[in-house]
Amino acid sequence: MSPDLFFLLSSVLFSLGLVGLVSRKNLFVMYMSIELMLSSINLLLATLSKVLGDASGSVIALLIIAVIAAEAALFLAIIIHLYRTSKTLDSDKYKDLGEIN
Amino acid sequence: MPETNILQLIIFTILATFMLGGSLTMISVKQTYISAFGFLVAMIGLAGMFALLDNRFLAVAQIMVSVGAIVVLSILTILTINAKEENLPDEPYKFLWIIFTSILVAPFTYLLYKVLTTLPQHFAEVESINTKVVGELLFSEWVLPFEIVSILLLTAMLGAIIIAKDKLKGEKS
Repeated sequence: MSPDLFFLLSSVLFSLGLVGLVSRKNLFVMYMSIELMLSSINLLLATLSKVLGDASGSVIALLIIAVIAAEAALFLAIIIHLYRTSKTLDSDKYKDLGEIN
Repeated sequence: MPETNILQLIIFTILATFMLGGSLTMISVKQTYISAFGFLVAMIGLAGMFALLDNRFLAVAQIMVSVGAIVVLSILTILTINAKEENLPDEPYKFLWIIFTSILVAPFTYLLYKVLTTLPQHFAEVESINTKVVGELLFSEWVLPFEIVSILLLTAMLGAIIIAKDKLKGEKS
């Protein structure tokens, strides 16, 4: 079992997250794509931790899990607020910070 | 030990199928809650990957935080919002967009993979990374990031409460 496969899986998952973030307009899918990118980094860190025989990678992965939790709380609160004000999940419809009209 | 290697490879293949299938479902399905279930499958697969890497602590943390808290919170929010068909974004060219973006991102993926394969190509022969080692490192070398994360979590909690509150006092409609 070589680390190659883990590196490949991590790269592919990161790219899938990037594709989902760029190509979809649903706010929930964008949020989950960001989470997927962060999680692929976690997989990479765990693999490196095992390759180098150093537990620091696991510690960083643990801190990233905490950051993911904070991001989830904020993002879901923002989605609830946006949905309550404009009744849509389409990210193209939100232009509050755009030009003044 | 070729048998263990083949067994590990089979487990890896199953978990990778779970993760890739879940992610693909997540980014390609229109209904939001099906996307969330795809994400759930991907996160469980990731926990299995941590276990396969002999990293018990991260596997348990992944199950508890990512699967138990984050995905369940997401599904709960999705079901609470209960967006109807007409409130979901209209994406007629969704698959074209996904294919086009995938073509754009593919060279980047290849580059990332090539960069990563310059690292050592075998696992270090050490005992499994257990909770004791992680805890000792967390509270000695990584104690400042740990404190910063605690402040970040507090700030995120306060921010989430303020943002999700219905209306601030004295604010009109």
